[in-house]
Amino acid sequence: MAGEKTIVCRCEEVTLETIVDTIEQYSCSSREVKLRTRAGMGYCGGRTCRNVIDRIVAATNGEPIKDELQLSYRSPIRPATFEVLGGGHENES
Amino acid sequence: MKVWNLLIVGAGPAGLNAAIAAAGEGLKVKIIDEFNRIGGRLLGQLHQEPNGEWWNGIDVANRLHEKAITLGVKIESGVSVYDLEQSEFGWKVYTSEGMEKTEKLLLATGATEVPTPIPGWTIPGVMSIGAAQVMGNVHRVKPGNTCVIIGANVLSIAIANELRLCGVEVKEIVISQPNSSLTHSGTPEKVMESLLQLTHLAPSVLLRQAGRVAKYIHPSLAVKFYPKNGMNILDIPIKIKTAATEIIGDKKVKGVKTVNIRSNGEIIPNTERITEADFVCIAGGLAPLPELAALTSCEFKFVHELGGHIPLHSERMETNEPNLFVAGNITGVESAKVAMAQGTVAGLTIASEIKGNKKHSDSAIEEALLTVRKEREEALIQFQPNIARARELIYQQFELDWKAESPKRSIS
Ligand SMILES: Cc1cc2nc3c(=O)[nH]c(=O)nc-3n(C[C@H](O)[C@H](O)[C@H](O)COP(=O)(O)OP(=O)(O)OC[C@H]3O[C@@H](n4cnc5c(N)ncnc54)[C@H](O)[C@@H]3O)c2cc1C
Ligand code: FES
Repeated sequence: MAGEKTIVCRCEEVTLETIVDTIEQYSCSSREVKLRTRAGMGYCGGRTCRNVIDRIVAATNGEPIKDELQLSYRSPIRPATFEVLGGGHENES
Repeated sequence: MKVWNLLIVGAGPAGLNAAIAAAGEGLKVKIIDEFNRIGGRLLGQLHQEPNGEWWNGIDVANRLHEKAITLGVKIESGVSVYDLEQSEFGWKVYTSEGMEKTEKLLLATGATEVPTPIPGWTIPGVMSIGAAQVMGNVHRVKPGNTCVIIGANVLSIAIANELRLCGVEVKEIVISQPNSSLTHSGTPEKVMESLLQLTHLAPSVLLRQAGRVAKYIHPSLAVKFYPKNGMNILDIPIKIKTAATEIIGDKKVKGVKTVNIRSNGEIIPNTERITEADFVCIAGGLAPLPELAALTSCEFKFVHELGGHIPLHSERMETNEPNLFVAGNITGVESAKVAMAQGTVAGLTIASEIKGNKKHSDSAIEEALLTVRKEREEALIQFQPNIARARELIYQQFELDWKAESPKRSIS
């Protein structure tokens, strides 16, 4: 298989091979794969690769995907400027 | 600062119809959408209905948009919502243009595409099938003159036809490499099975043809007799016994390397071939986009038939989180008409909670629920088999977890 040539997480350039090796070595969850390889931790916040990572983990471990989200979402879920985050735009009284 | 009765994230068919229903009951409603045009995924849609009429998503979007405006709905586009917070009056919603306050919040954020990574998919000129749809139908930009599509499913076949109408030569639709943990579609047999199941209700020429080979026989037999060189649907060869192994090119896509495979996915030796193309589309399927719900303490379920993780919800579109509602593809991937019908249900449910006139609203909601079921049954495009059953189970689960007993929070 062309696992070493297949990039899964584009932001962090993590390959299929790295992810599968990690799962096999540590028999771990998507969350642990993320912490060990940085897959899903990139600029897009996992928007591109998150569902794929869940599928690879499920297929490799031979388990169904869990109900709880393994790859959590954190605010801000969209890129936001410091001004916006600091409430600079706010028209609150 | 004003507190809205209802704030809706997403101006697709679900969000727009929810706004129309709620404003029709007298609520003060605002919709926020991050795209610069109103209509969500409707904007890309163009296909022929069973009765021969064309479903032109842009027309539908314009009609819903106008109706919402007439009813006094405030609509803002080009604004992203990046965070949510419960508050004493309902919700604080943080957007790229500041904070909004609302009593009730409806998430109608739709679905996202799931890619199928393959070697070379990061080369410029490779895009998701949805991106090609948006370029062609929304921005009126032809993505290239020739293309190969990787992934044979109901959406890729529909969009292949749209690309053809844009003047693109779709050279072939092939499947992604089976036996890899990356694809859910898998072997030709599996692909055939889902194509057959997806088309049994689809009377349009386009979709019916995909299932025609073997409407009444078993998928394994259908695959056996499926021609190696594919079947043409409106001049587009669909080759479910050909798998893409690599996309080639350096600074720009040159083509796709493929091999022939057996029904069980085994590669047939010495069948490697390259099909040249200006651009390549990857059609890996769709998944609900639940990001904002995931920032709350909403309970989630993974449901394969619905496309992935969804916020647990009732048939009336409530979640376990007070004052938080969901409608449209965030609750499961289905066609635009189902999303519209769900939007109406959500809008009426919310209006009934605010106005408290249960008698009047219950019958309206019941009627709206019937419309959802009818649209689901008649849907031209069904993204997965057994959707209705999967939905029933979700509604039952919601009643069990959150309605059956007080105290409200179950520990599981
Ligand atoms: C690529 C693709 C192609 C499709 N093609 C078809 C088709 O041909 N026929 C068909 O019947 N169905 C198709 N569908 C299914 C489609 O999703 C439904 O038809 C329908 O559009 C779903 O409606 P919705 O209102 O739930 O979501 P959408 O129409 O997707 O609208 C959601 C809106 O929410 C906005 N949004 C999301 N997050 C945020 C945020 N954080 N802040 C602000 N705004 C946000 C988005 O910009 C978007 O406009 C397609 C889906 C996809 C993804
Ligand atoms: S693609 Fe993995 S984080 Fe962006």
